Amino acid sequence: MGLPNASEDLSSEMEVDAFRRLFPLRYFERHLTESIRPDARPLRKARDTTIALGAVASADGSALAKIGSTTMLAAIKMEVMTPSLESPDEGCIAIDFHMPPICSPIVRPGRPAEAAPVLSKQLSDTITSSGMINLKELSLVSGKAAWMAYLDIYCLDADGALFDAALLSAVAAFSHLKIPVVSLDYDGKIVIMSEEQKEENSETKPVNKEKRKLTLSTIPFSLTCILHKSYILADPTAEEESIMETLVTVVLDSSGQLVSLYKPGGSVLVYTSAVQDCVALTRQRVKELQNILDDAISGMEID
Amino acid sequence: MAAKPGTASTTYSPVDPTHKTKPSIFTDSDWVRPDSRGFHQCRPAFFRTGAVNSASGSAYAEFGNTKVIVSVFGPRESKKAMMYSDIGRLNCNISYTTFATPVRGQGSDNKEYSSMLHKALEGAIILESFPKTTVDVFALVLESGGSDLPVVISCASLALADAGIMMYDLVTSVSVSCLGKNLLIDPILEEESCQDGSLMIACMPSRYEVTQLTVTGELSAPNLSEAMQLCLDACAKLAQIMRSCLKEAASAAAEE
Repeated sequence: MGLPNASEDLSSEMEVDAFRRLFPLRYFERHLTESIRPDARPLRKARDTTIALGAVASADGSALAKIGSTTMLAAIKMEVMTPSLESPDEGCIAIDFHMPPICSPIVRPGRPAEAAPVLSKQLSDTITSSGMINLKELSLVSGKAAWMAYLDIYCLDADGALFDAALLSAVAAFSHLKIPVVSLDYDGKIVIMSEEQKEENSETKPVNKEKRKLTLSTIPFSLTCILHKSYILADPTAEEESIMETLVTVVLDSSGQLVSLYKPGGSVLVYTSAVQDCVALTRQRVKELQNILDDAISGMEID
Repeated sequence: MAAKPGTASTTYSPVDPTHKTKPSIFTDSDWVRPDSRGFHQCRPAFFRTGAVNSASGSAYAEFGNTKVIVSVFGPRESKKAMMYSDIGRLNCNISYTTFATPVRGQGSDNKEYSSMLHKALEGAIILESFPKTTVDVFALVLESGGSDLPVVISCASLALADAGIMMYDLVTSVSVSCLGKNLLIDPILEEESCQDGSLMIACMPSRYEVTQLTVTGELSAPNLSEAMQLCLDACAKLAQIMRSCLKEAASAAAEE
């Protein structure tokens, strides 16, 4: 870094790969002046995104989301709890984000990634405050029993924009969630109804005959952008995130309302116009993501 | 909102009360396996390399409901505290997702699996080819459907090959469960939970060398030799599947 001019001179004779590693910032800035990124994307275009629902058979709801090579696996397991006294007819959601050592060379066993608890909290805040889930729908027997939805998100491959992919997998898992039919047994415990019991119409009545799927009123989607000088780069890769440090994550719900906005530090001070540009980009992205999610859901219904 | 460990114990997973009677079917003389396989028939195996882009090499394996991902990192710098070494080091770790098992977070304590994976692979890797450095093999069991460790071992050797780590041969692994008089190859979770004994072999099929052999529980001498032969035959077949997976990946890469 001490020889800024040396890199200029060397760039003509050095191999591209070596230049990329030695002077990453210059390498990127050269691309930016040409309005292109090293992976051949325009600056404001997100990577290809896919959603696969029902990836985990042992869970009640699950989804695999991929943005570029960033891969997230989210699964929901439903358990029964006694609701608190303050809210006797509400269930609960517990969200946990994990970065196992397989996902990135930075994470090692026994030394969890710093980013994991931060993302865990952000996801939890976003999903709660977006009002996507009506906790009353998770109630079973008022004051006695309610669902606790354990949502666990695993990062299988970390290549930037982790929050976007994690949130996408989380909302997809909720839209895939199928709540099991349960009944109360004689000890006052909730048990799963077997197929025979459902047909027999015996004295054991299902507690939740209607509430099998959650109605997701508004769905939050997000887009992370990198701000570097006057450039805005949508959906950064891990390499881009490591070189240019100012990130802005905008979360909008499906009706276009702002849910949250994160700008965790970084060297670039953000002007209002830049933030407005980010919000506008997110607005476009929300439509894309909504379509991808709708396609995934309608694909499931045909099966 | 967030469930801390203290509150987690107050929730329970609703169970189906009719499930408890299941194991009794295994004692009948003419029962079939829950997935209607033959006793000596393995589950269809699916492998794919390059599942994780940020790793040096990786592989995904799916045997029925057992789904695992293995990433290989390195050879990279060993931890500072380590002494100088002429040969490379191998570091293995296996973890489970919280939703891997039917009841959340209640998987059997598989702490010994990491060292068993290490022992199964160690003999096959040419450690002299990366002195002073470490190769990390990390596995994540996405879903546990039985025979987890053998699947991880096979998948790990494929990931090592994908990372270009020098090996004498691929390591393949298969287990057999003994239930009463019957030997069941490649058991599922349900069968493993009521087995009398089990045998697991990890071997290098082309060299016909065994890297790891584990026997637990009750196995009679004739059963033991039959089980070993079953495993070795299945390992050889598994190696063919894994080889063709590697060849496919290599030819796809050559086309690009």
